[in-house]
Amino acid sequence: MKLDPSFIWTAFVQILSVIPTTLLITAVSVVCGLVIGTAAALIRTFRVPVLSEVAAAYVIFIRGTPMITHLLLIYFGLSLGVDALSKQFGWAFRSSSIPMIAFAFIAFSITAGAYASEVIRSGLLAVNRGQLEAAHSIGMTTGQALRRIVVPQAFAASLPNVSNLVVGILHASSLAFTVSVVEVTAKAQIVASTNWKFFDAYLAAALIYWGLTLLIERASALVEKRINIYYRGGVA
Amino acid sequence: MIQLKGITKSFGRQQVLKGIGLTVEKGEVVVILGPSGSGKTTLLRCINYLEKPGGGEIRIGDCRVDCRAASKKDIRELRKRTAMVFQQYNLFRHKTALENVMEGLVVVQKVPKEEARARSVQLLEKVGLGAKLDAYPSQLSGGQQQRVGIARALALNPEVILFDEPTSALDPELVGEVLAVIRKIAKEGITMIIVTHEMGFAQDVANHVIFMDEGVVVEEGRPNEIFTSPKEERTKQFLKRFTPEGVYSI
Ligand SMILES: Nc1ncnc2c1ncn2[C@@H]1O[C@H](COP(=O)(O)OP(=O)(O)OP(=O)(O)O)[C@@H](O)[C@H]1O
Ligand SMILES: [Mg+2]
Repeated sequence: MKLDPSFIWTAFVQILSVIPTTLLITAVSVVCGLVIGTAAALIRTFRVPVLSEVAAAYVIFIRGTPMITHLLLIYFGLSLGVDALSKQFGWAFRSSSIPMIAFAFIAFSITAGAYASEVIRSGLLAVNRGQLEAAHSIGMTTGQALRRIVVPQAFAASLPNVSNLVVGILHASSLAFTVSVVEVTAKAQIVASTNWKFFDAYLAAALIYWGLTLLIERASALVEKRINIYYRGGVA
Repeated sequence: MIQLKGITKSFGRQQVLKGIGLTVEKGEVVVILGPSGSGKTTLLRCINYLEKPGGGEIRIGDCRVDCRAASKKDIRELRKRTAMVFQQYNLFRHKTALENVMEGLVVVQKVPKEEARARSVQLLEKVGLGAKLDAYPSQLSGGQQQRVGIARALALNPEVILFDEPTSALDPELVGEVLAVIRKIAKEGITMIIVTHEMGFAQDVANHVIFMDEGVVVEEGRPNEIFTSPKEERTKQFLKRFTPEGVYSI
Protein backbone atom coordinates (compact mmCIF):
# COMPACT_ATOMS: atom_id res chain seq x y z
CA MET A 1 0.00 0.00 0.00
CA LYS A 2 1.29 3.43 -0.90
CA LEU A 3 0.03 6.68 0.54
CA ASP A 4 -0.47 9.56 -1.81
CA PRO A 5 0.28 12.69 0.24
CA SER A 6 -0.74 15.08 -2.46
CA PHE A 7 -4.12 13.37 -2.82
CA ILE A 8 -4.57 13.38 0.95
CA TRP A 9 -4.02 17.10 0.76
CA THR A 10 -6.47 17.52 -2.11
CA ALA A 11 -9.06 15.47 -0.26
CA PHE A 12 -8.41 17.43 2.93
CA VAL A 13 -9.01 20.74 1.16
CA GLN A 14 -12.16 19.48 -0.54
CA ILE A 15 -13.57 18.07 2.67
CA LEU A 16 -13.00 21.39 4.42
CA SER A 17 -15.83 22.83 2.34
CA VAL A 18 -18.42 20.59 4.05
CA ILE A 19 -17.25 21.18 7.62
CA PRO A 20 -20.11 23.67 8.07
CA THR A 21 -22.58 20.86 7.37
CA THR A 22 -21.02 18.58 9.97
CA LEU A 23 -20.87 21.42 12.49
CA LEU A 24 -24.45 22.43 11.75
CA ILE A 25 -25.73 18.90 12.36
CA THR A 26 -23.71 18.75 15.57
CA ALA A 27 -24.82 22.18 16.81
CA VAL A 28 -28.50 21.72 16.02
CA SER A 29 -28.57 18.25 17.61
CA VAL A 30 -26.71 19.36 20.72
CA VAL A 31 -28.77 22.51 21.26
CA CYS A 32 -32.11 20.76 20.71
CA GLY A 33 -30.81 17.79 22.68
CA LEU A 34 -29.95 20.03 25.63
CA VAL A 35 -33.40 21.59 25.59
CA ILE A 36 -35.10 18.18 25.44
CA GLY A 37 -32.63 16.74 27.95
CA THR A 38 -33.06 19.59 30.43
CA ALA A 39 -36.83 19.22 30.29
CA ALA A 40 -36.58 15.44 30.73
CA ALA A 41 -34.09 15.82 33.57
CA LEU A 42 -36.26 18.35 35.43
CA ILE A 43 -39.33 16.19 34.94
CA ARG A 44 -37.52 13.17 36.35
CA THR A 45 -35.76 14.98 39.17
CA PHE A 46 -39.00 16.51 40.41
CA ARG A 47 -40.96 13.32 39.73
CA VAL A 48 -43.72 14.97 37.74
CA PRO A 49 -46.51 12.37 37.64
CA VAL A 50 -46.98 10.49 34.34
CA LEU A 51 -44.47 12.67 32.48
CA SER A 52 -41.60 11.29 34.52
CA GLU A 53 -42.46 7.74 33.44
CA VAL A 54 -42.66 8.90 29.84
CA ALA A 55 -39.29 10.64 30.14
CA ALA A 56 -37.70 7.58 31.76
CA ALA A 57 -39.00 5.31 28.99
CA TYR A 58 -37.68 7.70 26.34
CA VAL A 59 -34.22 7.78 27.90
CA ILE A 60 -34.06 4.02 28.37
CA PHE A 61 -35.24 3.25 24.84
CA ILE A 62 -32.92 5.72 23.12
CA ARG A 63 -29.89 4.74 25.16
CA GLY A 64 -30.70 1.10 24.56
CA THR A 65 -30.70 1.34 20.77
CA PRO A 66 -28.03 2.43 18.26
CA MET A 67 -28.04 5.92 16.85
CA ILE A 68 -28.18 4.72 13.27
CA THR A 69 -31.41 2.94 14.15
CA HIS A 70 -32.90 6.23 15.37
CA LEU A 71 -31.93 7.84 12.09
CA LEU A 72 -33.42 5.04 10.00
CA LEU A 73 -36.60 4.91 12.08
CA ILE A 74 -37.08 8.66 11.77
CA TYR A 75 -36.25 8.65 8.07
CA PHE A 76 -38.64 5.88 7.10
CA GLY A 77 -41.20 6.44 9.81
CA LEU A 78 -41.51 10.17 9.22
CA SER A 79 -41.66 9.74 5.45
CA LEU A 80 -44.43 7.17 5.70
CA GLY A 81 -46.28 9.24 8.27
CA VAL A 82 -46.08 12.48 6.28
CA ASP A 83 -47.20 10.83 3.06
CA ALA A 84 -50.09 9.06 4.77
CA LEU A 85 -51.24 12.36 6.31
CA SER A 86 -50.91 14.20 3.00
CA LYS A 87 -53.03 11.57 1.28
CA GLN A 88 -55.63 11.66 4.03
CA PHE A 89 -56.05 15.43 3.85
CA GLY A 90 -55.31 15.85 0.16
CA TRP A 91 -52.22 18.03 0.65
CA ALA A 92 -49.75 18.41 -2.19
CA PHE A 93 -46.84 18.02 0.24
CA ARG A 94 -44.73 14.86 -0.16
CA SER A 95 -42.02 13.51 2.13
CA SER A 96 -39.59 13.64 -0.80
CA SER A 97 -39.57 17.43 -0.52
CA ILE A 98 -38.26 17.29 3.04
CA PRO A 99 -34.51 18.09 2.89
CA MET A 100 -32.43 15.11 3.93
CA ILE A 101 -30.57 17.04 6.55
CA ALA A 102 -33.85 17.63 8.42
CA PHE A 103 -34.08 13.90 9.17
CA ALA A 104 -30.59 14.03 10.63
CA PHE A 105 -31.51 17.08 12.74
CA ILE A 106 -34.60 15.40 14.15
CA ALA A 107 -33.11 11.97 14.73
CA PHE A 108 -29.89 13.20 16.31
CA SER A 109 -31.72 15.72 18.50
CA ILE A 110 -33.79 12.87 19.86
CA THR A 111 -30.65 10.82 20.47
CA ALA A 112 -28.78 13.72 22.02
CA GLY A 113 -31.78 14.55 24.21
CA ALA A 114 -31.66 11.19 25.93
CA TYR A 115 -27.95 11.40 26.63
CA ALA A 116 -28.20 15.06 27.64
CA SER A 117 -30.96 14.16 30.08
CA GLU A 118 -28.59 11.96 32.04
CA VAL A 119 -25.87 14.60 31.88
CA ILE A 120 -28.14 17.37 33.16
CA ARG A 121 -29.70 15.09 35.75
CA SER A 122 -26.36 14.47 37.40
CA GLY A 123 -25.76 18.22 37.23
CA LEU A 124 -29.07 18.88 38.99
CA LEU A 125 -28.12 16.43 41.72
CA ALA A 126 -24.94 18.43 42.27
CA VAL A 127 -27.01 21.49 43.26
CA ASN A 128 -28.07 20.97 46.85
CA ARG A 129 -31.76 21.14 47.58
CA GLY A 130 -31.18 23.84 50.17
CA GLN A 131 -30.61 26.43 47.48
CA LEU A 132 -33.97 25.70 45.92
CA GLU A 133 -35.54 26.09 49.37
CA ALA A 134 -33.67 29.32 49.95
CA ALA A 135 -35.00 30.61 46.64
CA HIS A 136 -38.52 29.67 47.65
CA SER A 137 -38.04 31.23 51.06
CA ILE A 138 -37.20 34.61 49.53
CA GLY A 139 -40.41 34.37 47.54
CA MET A 140 -39.25 33.11 44.16
CA THR A 141 -41.61 30.93 42.19
CA THR A 142 -40.37 27.46 41.27
CA GLY A 143 -39.88 28.65 37.70
CA GLN A 144 -37.74 31.59 38.80
CA ALA A 145 -35.76 29.41 41.15
CA LEU A 146 -35.04 26.85 38.45
CA ARG A 147 -34.15 29.44 35.85
CA ARG A 148 -31.99 31.67 38.01
CA ILE A 149 -30.54 29.36 40.64
CA VAL A 150 -30.73 25.66 39.88
CA VAL A 151 -30.33 25.24 36.12
CA PRO A 152 -27.32 27.57 35.67
CA GLN A 153 -25.44 25.68 38.35
CA ALA A 154 -26.54 22.32 36.97
CA PHE A 155 -25.18 23.35 33.57
CA ALA A 156 -21.92 24.48 35.09
CA ALA A 157 -21.57 21.21 36.98
CA SER A 158 -22.31 19.16 33.88
CA LEU A 159 -20.05 21.07 31.55
CA PRO A 160 -17.36 18.37 31.24
CA ASN A 161 -20.04 15.85 30.32
CA VAL A 162 -21.68 18.27 27.92
CA SER A 163 -18.38 18.61 26.14
CA ASN A 164 -18.18 14.81 25.86
CA LEU A 165 -21.69 14.85 24.45
CA VAL A 166 -20.73 17.43 21.81
CA VAL A 167 -17.74 15.33 20.77
CA GLY A 168 -19.89 12.19 20.67
CA ILE A 169 -22.48 13.85 18.45
CA LEU A 170 -19.78 15.35 16.23
CA HIS A 171 -18.40 11.88 15.57
CA ALA A 172 -21.84 10.32 15.20
CA SER A 173 -22.93 13.01 12.74
CA SER A 174 -21.00 10.95 10.19
CA LEU A 175 -23.99 8.59 10.20
CA ALA A 176 -25.92 11.25 8.30
CA PHE A 177 -24.22 9.96 5.15
CA THR A 178 -26.65 7.02 5.24
CA VAL A 179 -29.47 9.42 4.37
CA SER A 180 -27.33 11.08 1.70
CA VAL A 181 -26.36 14.19 3.59
CA VAL A 182 -22.99 15.34 2.30
CA GLU A 183 -21.03 15.91 5.47
CA VAL A 184 -17.36 15.13 6.14
CA THR A 185 -17.54 11.33 5.77
CA ALA A 186 -19.80 11.41 2.71
CA LYS A 187 -17.57 14.01 1.11
CA ALA A 188 -14.50 11.81 1.64
CA GLN A 189 -16.27 8.99 -0.11
CA ILE A 190 -17.25 11.25 -3.01
CA VAL A 191 -13.75 12.65 -3.37
CA ALA A 192 -12.25 9.16 -3.53
CA SER A 193 -14.81 7.74 -5.92
CA THR A 194 -12.88 9.10 -8.91
CA ASN A 195 -9.59 7.36 -8.15
CA TRP A 196 -10.52 4.74 -5.53
CA LYS A 197 -8.04 6.13 -3.00
CA PHE A 198 -10.53 5.65 -0.18
CA PHE A 199 -7.93 5.12 2.48
CA ASP A 200 -6.26 8.44 1.76
CA ALA A 201 -9.58 10.26 1.69
CA TYR A 202 -10.80 8.77 4.97
CA LEU A 203 -7.45 9.56 6.51
CA ALA A 204 -8.01 13.20 5.58
CA ALA A 205 -11.49 12.98 7.10
CA ALA A 206 -10.05 11.50 10.29
CA LEU A 207 -7.61 14.39 10.61
CA ILE A 208 -10.48 16.84 10.26
CA TYR A 209 -12.60 15.11 12.92
CA TRP A 210 -9.61 15.01 15.21
CA GLY A 211 -8.90 18.70 14.71
CA LEU A 212 -12.51 19.61 15.41
CA THR A 213 -12.50 17.44 18.53
CA LEU A 214 -9.40 19.17 19.85
CA LEU A 215 -11.01 22.56 19.25
CA ILE A 216 -14.16 21.56 21.14
CA GLU A 217 -12.16 20.21 24.05
CA ARG A 218 -10.01 23.32 24.21
CA ALA A 219 -13.04 25.59 24.14
CA SER A 220 -14.80 23.67 26.89
CA ALA A 221 -11.67 23.67 29.05
CA LEU A 222 -11.57 27.46 28.77
CA VAL A 223 -15.23 27.85 29.72
CA GLU A 224 -14.84 25.37 32.54
CA LYS A 225 -11.90 27.25 33.98
CA ARG A 226 -13.90 30.46 34.08
CA ILE A 227 -16.91 28.84 35.66
CA ASN A 228 -15.05 26.80 38.21
CA ILE A 229 -13.89 29.92 40.01
CA TYR A 230 -17.21 29.83 41.88
CA TYR A 231 -17.02 26.22 42.83
CA ARG A 232 -13.64 26.06 44.44
CA GLY A 233 -15.13 25.46 47.85
CA GLY A 234 -17.21 22.49 46.69
CA VAL A 235 -20.77 21.96 47.83
CA ALA A 236 -21.56 23.09 51.36
CA MET B 1 -48.07 39.90 65.21
CA ILE B 2 -47.60 36.25 64.37
CA GLN B 3 -50.06 33.70 65.54
CA LEU B 4 -50.04 29.96 64.99
CA LYS B 5 -53.03 27.83 65.88
CA GLY B 6 -53.13 24.06 65.97
CA ILE B 7 -50.35 23.47 63.47
CA THR B 8 -50.00 19.78 62.68
CA LYS B 9 -47.63 17.95 60.41
CA SER B 10 -47.03 14.28 59.70
CA PHE B 11 -44.40 12.52 57.67
CA GLY B 12 -46.05 9.30 56.61
CA ARG B 13 -47.47 7.81 59.77
CA GLN B 14 -45.19 9.75 62.11
CA GLN B 15 -46.89 12.84 63.51
CA VAL B 16 -44.13 15.37 64.05
CA LEU B 17 -46.22 18.41 65.06
CA LYS B 18 -49.25 17.70 67.18
CA GLY B 19 -51.08 20.98 67.23
CA ILE B 20 -48.66 23.82 67.92
CA GLY B 21 -50.01 27.18 69.00
CA LEU B 22 -47.93 30.23 69.64
CA THR B 23 -48.12 33.99 69.52
CA VAL B 24 -45.26 36.35 68.82
CA GLU B 25 -45.76 40.05 69.35
CA LYS B 26 -44.21 42.58 67.01
CA GLY B 27 -40.58 43.20 67.87
CA GLU B 28 -40.39 40.17 70.11
CA VAL B 29 -37.59 37.61 69.97
CA VAL B 30 -38.83 34.11 70.60
CA VAL B 31 -36.38 31.28 71.17
CA ILE B 32 -37.50 27.69 70.63
CA LEU B 33 -35.64 25.01 72.57
CA GLY B 34 -36.09 21.30 72.47
CA PRO B 35 -34.33 17.99 72.02
CA SER B 36 -33.32 16.69 68.63
CA GLY B 37 -36.28 15.40 66.65
CA SER B 38 -38.84 17.39 68.64
CA GLY B 39 -40.05 19.17 65.48
CA LYS B 40 -38.42 22.59 65.78
CA THR B 41 -37.10 22.70 62.24
CA THR B 42 -40.35 21.34 60.91
CA LEU B 43 -42.28 24.08 62.70
CA LEU B 44 -40.14 26.86 61.20
CA ARG B 45 -40.41 25.26 57.77
CA CYS B 46 -44.18 25.16 58.11
CA ILE B 47 -44.32 28.89 58.89
CA ASN B 48 -42.33 29.57 55.71
CA TYR B 49 -44.38 26.94 53.87
CA LEU B 50 -41.29 25.01 52.82
CA GLU B 51 -43.23 22.20 54.43
CA LYS B 52 -46.98 22.02 53.97
CA PRO B 53 -48.68 21.72 57.37
CA GLY B 54 -51.39 19.10 57.68
CA GLY B 55 -53.71 21.54 59.39
CA GLY B 56 -53.98 24.64 61.55
CA GLU B 57 -53.86 28.33 60.93
CA ILE B 58 -50.98 30.72 60.34
CA ARG B 59 -51.54 34.41 60.83
CA ILE B 60 -48.88 36.98 60.09
CA GLY B 61 -49.99 40.59 60.32
CA ASP B 62 -53.05 40.97 58.14
CA CYS B 63 -52.44 37.69 56.32
CA ARG B 64 -54.38 34.74 57.62
CA VAL B 65 -53.92 31.31 56.06
CA ASP B 66 -55.91 28.19 56.71
CA CYS B 67 -53.38 25.45 56.12
CA ARG B 68 -55.95 23.01 54.81
CA ALA B 69 -57.00 25.38 52.06
CA ALA B 70 -53.89 27.42 51.31
CA SER B 71 -53.78 28.75 47.76
CA LYS B 72 -50.64 29.58 45.80
CA LYS B 73 -51.35 33.22 46.53
CA ASP B 74 -51.57 32.54 50.29
CA ILE B 75 -48.20 30.80 50.17
CA ARG B 76 -46.70 33.71 48.28
CA GLU B 77 -48.09 36.14 50.86
CA LEU B 78 -46.68 34.08 53.73
CA ARG B 79 -43.27 33.90 52.10
CA LYS B 80 -43.33 37.62 51.47
CA ARG B 81 -43.83 38.24 55.17
CA THR B 82 -41.25 35.75 56.42
CA ALA B 83 -37.59 35.09 55.78
CA MET B 84 -35.51 32.12 56.75
CA VAL B 85 -31.90 31.79 57.88
CA PHE B 86 -30.78 28.22 57.34
CA GLN B 87 -28.50 26.01 59.35
CA GLN B 88 -26.48 25.24 56.19
CA TYR B 89 -26.62 28.90 55.01
CA ASN B 90 -27.94 27.79 51.58
CA LEU B 91 -26.38 30.70 49.76
CA PHE B 92 -26.62 30.75 45.98
CA ARG B 93 -23.18 29.46 45.14
CA HIS B 94 -22.90 30.97 41.69
CA LYS B 95 -23.64 34.45 42.99
CA THR B 96 -21.50 36.88 44.94
CA ALA B 97 -22.39 38.00 48.45
CA LEU B 98 -23.90 41.16 47.00
CA GLU B 99 -25.87 39.26 44.35
CA ASN B 100 -27.18 36.86 46.98
CA VAL B 101 -28.64 39.75 48.93
CA MET B 102 -29.93 41.58 45.84
CA GLU B 103 -31.60 38.54 44.28
CA GLY B 104 -34.86 38.68 46.20
CA LEU B 105 -35.13 42.45 45.91
CA VAL B 106 -34.64 42.47 42.15
CA VAL B 107 -36.40 39.27 41.13
CA VAL B 108 -39.22 39.07 43.65
CA GLN B 109 -39.85 42.62 44.80
CA LYS B 110 -38.88 44.16 41.43
CA VAL B 111 -36.85 46.90 43.09
CA PRO B 112 -34.78 48.79 40.49
CA LYS B 113 -31.27 47.38 40.31
CA GLU B 114 -29.39 50.45 41.52
CA GLU B 115 -31.64 50.88 44.53
CA ALA B 116 -31.40 47.16 45.32
CA ARG B 117 -27.64 47.35 45.12
CA ALA B 118 -27.45 50.33 47.45
CA ARG B 119 -29.70 48.66 50.00
CA SER B 120 -27.79 45.40 49.78
CA VAL B 121 -24.44 47.09 50.26
CA GLN B 122 -25.83 48.80 53.35
CA LEU B 123 -27.04 45.50 54.78
CA LEU B 124 -23.76 43.73 54.10
CA GLU B 125 -21.98 46.56 55.85
CA LYS B 126 -24.32 46.16 58.78
CA VAL B 127 -23.37 42.48 59.12
CA GLY B 128 -19.71 43.42 58.85
CA LEU B 129 -19.08 42.27 55.30
CA GLY B 130 -18.63 45.58 53.54
CA ALA B 131 -15.27 44.33 52.29
CA LYS B 132 -16.62 41.07 50.86
CA LEU B 133 -19.29 42.28 48.46
CA ASP B 134 -17.84 40.51 45.45
CA ALA B 135 -16.77 37.30 47.16
CA TYR B 136 -18.42 34.04 46.17
CA PRO B 137 -19.70 31.80 48.98
CA SER B 138 -16.81 29.39 48.38
CA GLN B 139 -14.43 32.23 49.22
CA LEU B 140 -16.10 32.98 52.57
CA SER B 141 -15.82 31.32 55.96
CA GLY B 142 -18.88 29.65 57.44
CA GLY B 143 -19.48 32.60 59.75
CA GLN B 144 -19.24 35.03 56.87
CA GLN B 145 -21.58 32.93 54.76
CA GLN B 146 -24.13 32.86 57.53
CA ARG B 147 -23.90 36.65 57.90
CA VAL B 148 -24.64 36.94 54.17
CA GLY B 149 -27.60 34.65 54.81
CA ILE B 150 -28.82 37.03 57.50
CA ALA B 151 -28.38 40.03 55.21
CA ARG B 152 -30.32 38.19 52.50
CA ALA B 153 -33.17 37.62 54.95
CA LEU B 154 -33.12 41.23 56.18
CA ALA B 155 -33.17 42.60 52.63
CA LEU B 156 -36.74 41.49 52.09
CA ASN B 157 -37.85 43.52 55.09
CA PRO B 158 -39.97 40.63 56.38
CA GLU B 159 -42.33 40.80 59.34
CA VAL B 160 -40.50 37.93 60.95
CA ILE B 161 -37.14 36.24 60.44
CA LEU B 162 -36.93 32.54 61.21
CA PHE B 163 -33.53 31.23 62.31
CA ASP B 164 -32.97 27.48 62.29
CA GLU B 165 -29.90 26.74 64.39
CA PRO B 166 -27.96 29.47 62.63
CA THR B 167 -24.66 28.61 64.31
CA SER B 168 -24.72 24.86 64.68
CA ALA B 169 -22.82 24.19 61.44
CA LEU B 170 -20.06 26.62 62.43
CA ASP B 171 -16.65 26.05 63.93
CA PRO B 172 -16.78 27.20 67.56
CA GLU B 173 -14.57 30.21 66.97
CA LEU B 174 -17.00 31.52 64.32
CA VAL B 175 -20.15 31.22 66.42
CA GLY B 176 -19.59 34.52 68.23
CA GLU B 177 -19.56 36.76 65.17
CA VAL B 178 -22.89 35.39 63.96
CA LEU B 179 -24.56 35.62 67.37
CA ALA B 180 -23.30 39.18 67.67
CA VAL B 181 -25.00 40.10 64.41
CA ILE B 182 -28.26 38.48 65.50
CA ARG B 183 -28.11 40.35 68.79
CA LYS B 184 -27.56 43.58 66.94
CA ILE B 185 -30.60 43.18 64.72
CA ALA B 186 -32.69 41.97 67.66
CA LYS B 187 -32.05 45.33 69.27
CA GLU B 188 -33.47 47.05 66.20
CA GLY B 189 -36.85 45.59 66.99
CA ILE B 190 -37.08 43.00 64.22
CA THR B 191 -39.40 40.14 65.10
CA MET B 192 -37.53 36.86 65.23
CA ILE B 193 -38.13 33.21 65.97
CA ILE B 194 -34.87 31.45 66.72
CA VAL B 195 -34.18 27.76 67.14
CA THR B 196 -30.86 27.35 68.89
CA HIS B 197 -28.86 25.21 71.24
CA GLU B 198 -26.76 28.18 72.39
CA MET B 199 -28.26 28.52 75.86
CA GLY B 200 -26.34 31.59 76.97
CA PHE B 201 -27.33 33.41 73.83
CA ALA B 202 -30.93 32.22 74.11
CA GLN B 203 -31.15 33.47 77.66
CA ASP B 204 -30.10 37.00 76.92
CA VAL B 205 -31.55 37.57 73.46
CA ALA B 206 -35.00 36.09 74.05
CA ASN B 207 -38.09 37.90 75.25
CA HIS B 208 -39.94 34.66 75.29
CA VAL B 209 -38.81 31.03 75.40
CA ILE B 210 -40.68 28.01 74.14
CA PHE B 211 -39.71 24.48 75.06
CA MET B 212 -40.89 21.84 72.60
CA ASP B 213 -40.78 18.09 72.85
CA GLU B 214 -42.29 15.39 70.67
CA GLY B 215 -44.30 17.82 68.60
CA VAL B 216 -45.96 19.78 71.39
CA VAL B 217 -45.17 22.95 73.32
CA VAL B 218 -44.31 21.62 76.76
CA GLU B 219 -43.67 24.91 78.48
CA GLU B 220 -43.22 28.57 77.65
CA GLY B 221 -42.47 31.77 79.45
CA ARG B 222 -39.98 34.53 80.10
CA PRO B 223 -36.35 33.42 79.77
CA ASN B 224 -35.54 33.69 83.48
CA GLU B 225 -38.59 31.64 84.38
CA ILE B 226 -37.71 28.88 81.95
CA PHE B 227 -34.00 28.84 82.61
CA THR B 228 -34.00 29.24 86.39
CA SER B 229 -37.24 27.68 87.51
CA PRO B 230 -38.79 25.44 84.86
CA LYS B 231 -42.02 23.82 85.97
CA GLU B 232 -42.14 20.77 83.74
CA GLU B 233 -39.99 17.74 84.40
CA ARG B 234 -39.06 17.37 80.72
CA THR B 235 -37.81 20.96 80.58
CA LYS B 236 -35.68 20.41 83.68
CA GLN B 237 -34.17 17.24 82.21
CA PHE B 238 -33.38 19.02 78.95
CA LEU B 239 -31.79 22.08 80.54
CA LYS B 240 -29.70 19.99 82.91
CA ARG B 241 -27.77 18.65 79.93
CA PHE B 242 -26.68 22.14 78.98
CA THR B 243 -25.30 23.49 82.23
CA PRO B 244 -22.73 24.61 82.88
CA GLU B 245 -20.48 23.92 79.88
CA GLY B 246 -23.18 24.62 77.27
CA VAL B 247 -23.60 28.14 78.56
CA TYR B 248 -21.23 30.78 77.45
CA SER B 249 -21.42 34.39 76.60
CA ILE B 250 -19.61 36.55 74.15
N1 LIG C 1 -38.71 15.31 55.19
C1 LIG C 1 -38.92 14.45 56.21
N2 LIG C 1 -39.38 13.20 55.96
C2 LIG C 1 -39.60 12.33 56.96
N3 LIG C 1 -39.39 12.61 58.26
C3 LIG C 1 -38.94 13.83 58.57
C4 LIG C 1 -38.67 14.81 57.57
N4 LIG C 1 -38.23 15.93 58.17
C5 LIG C 1 -38.21 15.66 59.49
N5 LIG C 1 -38.64 14.41 59.75
C6 LIG C 1 -38.79 13.79 61.07
O1 LIG C 1 -39.53 14.67 61.88
C7 LIG C 1 -39.04 14.70 63.19
C8 LIG C 1 -38.77 16.12 63.61
O2 LIG C 1 -37.71 16.63 62.83
P1 LIG C 1 -37.16 18.10 62.99
O3 LIG C 1 -36.08 18.25 62.00
O4 LIG C 1 -38.29 19.05 62.93
O5 LIG C 1 -36.56 18.08 64.45
P2 LIG C 1 -35.70 19.17 65.20
O6 LIG C 1 -36.43 19.47 66.45
O7 LIG C 1 -35.41 20.30 64.29
O8 LIG C 1 -34.38 18.38 65.54
P3 LIG C 1 -32.85 18.87 65.56
O9 LIG C 1 -32.62 19.53 66.87
O10 LIG C 1 -32.08 17.59 65.46
O11 LIG C 1 -32.65 19.76 64.38
C9 LIG C 1 -37.82 13.81 63.21
O12 LIG C 1 -38.19 12.57 63.78
C10 LIG C 1 -37.46 13.63 61.77
O13 LIG C 1 -36.91 12.36 61.56
MG1 LIG D 1 -33.63 21.03 63.37
